[in-house]
Amino acid sequence: MLAAFPELAVSMIYLDYAATTPLDARVFEAMLPSLRPDGVFANPASTHGPGFKARAAVEKARVQVAALIGAEPGEIVWTSGATESNNLAIKGALEFRGSAASNMLHIVTSRTEHKCVIDTCRHLESQGIGGRAVRVTYLKPSPRGVVTPEQVLAALTPETLLVSLMWVNNEIGVVQDIDRLAPLLRERGVLLHVDAAQAAGKLPIDLQRTPVDLLSLSAHKVYGPKGIGALFVRRRPRARLNPQMHGGGHEQGMRSGTLATHQIVGMGAAFAVAQTDLETDAERIGTLRDRLWSRLQILPRIYRNGGDKNGGTEIVVAPHLLNVSFEGVEGESLRASLPELAVSSGSACSSATAEPSYVLRALGRDDEMANASLRFSIGRSTTAAEIERAAELVIQQVQWLRELSPLWAA
Amino acid sequence: MNMPSTPDFAGLDNLFGYSAPIWQRFADPSSVGRFAPETSAVLSGEAGTPAARSVLRLQFRFEAGRVADARFQAYGCPTSIAVGAWLAEWATGKSLAELRSLKLAELRAALEIGDDRAHCAVMGEDALLALLAQYPEIST
Repeated sequence: MLAAFPELAVSMIYLDYAATTPLDARVFEAMLPSLRPDGVFANPASTHGPGFKARAAVEKARVQVAALIGAEPGEIVWTSGATESNNLAIKGALEFRGSAASNMLHIVTSRTEHKCVIDTCRHLESQGIGGRAVRVTYLKPSPRGVVTPEQVLAALTPETLLVSLMWVNNEIGVVQDIDRLAPLLRERGVLLHVDAAQAAGKLPIDLQRTPVDLLSLSAHKVYGPKGIGALFVRRRPRARLNPQMHGGGHEQGMRSGTLATHQIVGMGAAFAVAQTDLETDAERIGTLRDRLWSRLQILPRIYRNGGDKNGGTEIVVAPHLLNVSFEGVEGESLRASLPELAVSSGSACSSATAEPSYVLRALGRDDEMANASLRFSIGRSTTAAEIERAAELVIQQVQWLRELSPLWAA
Repeated sequence: MNMPSTPDFAGLDNLFGYSAPIWQRFADPSSVGRFAPETSAVLSGEAGTPAARSVLRLQFRFEAGRVADARFQAYGCPTSIAVGAWLAEWATGKSLAELRSLKLAELRAALEIGDDRAHCAVMGEDALLALLAQYPEIST
């Protein structure tokens, strides 16, 4: 029997929380006073009553963001988001330290970093810093997506100034062992930058215990507003940066520009909610994710991308992510056959020149399997019924596309 | 999370903006499958490669020099699948001379295939040519 596509969808199942999250209702409420025309509108840098009020709102948010990651408020620098934080951390640290270095500058990162880290590194490789060349080592992760602290240490040279590694991978959810890596780099005097956009609010982070020097954060991955993020810049020992945005010397001179009070208040509220709900969210979301993976098992020849808890070494995966490759189906058709699901796809959809996911390619998946992949990311509002329905739709369409294929032999 | 159902979602079943003739055949293709091996007067033609993520197989069953029935199977993007479905529809009832007269432009126009997906139409033509190349081998 060949099934036609399911009846016209009346609702959308959103399983793309790793791309972005909706505002939490509590965050929305917290932001309103600074959005109203008669609200907290003044420039937080102004030295008058309304300015002081705005400043107080900004500083309260700074405390809230710092609290979630075990930092001091004075270590939080507001930015426009994780992309800017990553740019500021990498370029800023290299420019500052590079001016004192005499040789070539070296960065260690991995092939599965977010594009904004990889692109920043490539830019530095092509431009150099202050007339000195910049060399970058892009570590290859294991087929499960892990970059070990030993691999990082083996790549260090006397010229290495900075290691940049993400805590949780945005496509596959693999958690890198930052807790073990950080002290090893501290002993060796190498700066560690961590992109924690997908980790904050998902895993406990305690920077009092983990000696990370620079850490990037985003609000909209944690049910806060888009357009606001932060960079944690350690005070003791002081991680120093050259600013990338020049101007009025805001944020201790590291990032100029009038502070966006409403966005900052929203980020603070989102991080406060995340701190309260972290454990219950992680447990509930992780259970739904495991349920989805277990329901899909009815399909033969499907593969989980990134670590799982099976096999010899336990690999930790963030609770909200599930990335699966489906053998025998083509990615664009798979995605097009699931209009009811808002999920990310590894397929090079509309562009003839786009490559399938470079993250999955770095794990050793071939183009076909990287292309035929879906990333499901589960969030605070996801229900068990949505997971059931999503599993049902995926199973139905994968079976149908396999049946349609001249290559598939069950 | 349930998103509200609004008129904007009326086109939900073709979110990705495929042409109507492509979407209609992708979403509900006819003539899918293959003939049982013992069926007589059947010719097959295949084109494409798994590496290019596109493979199309056509089968026509001939009666008195005309296509009595057609089947297709496809692995590939929605356009490739629609090309298979369209060729199976189009071929049914046609004579050898009519089958040989197919122009690539006609196939592309029928499915509104743009330049970026022209290779899908070429694969369809290749599968048809591969099938027709075997024609002298059967007697009908």
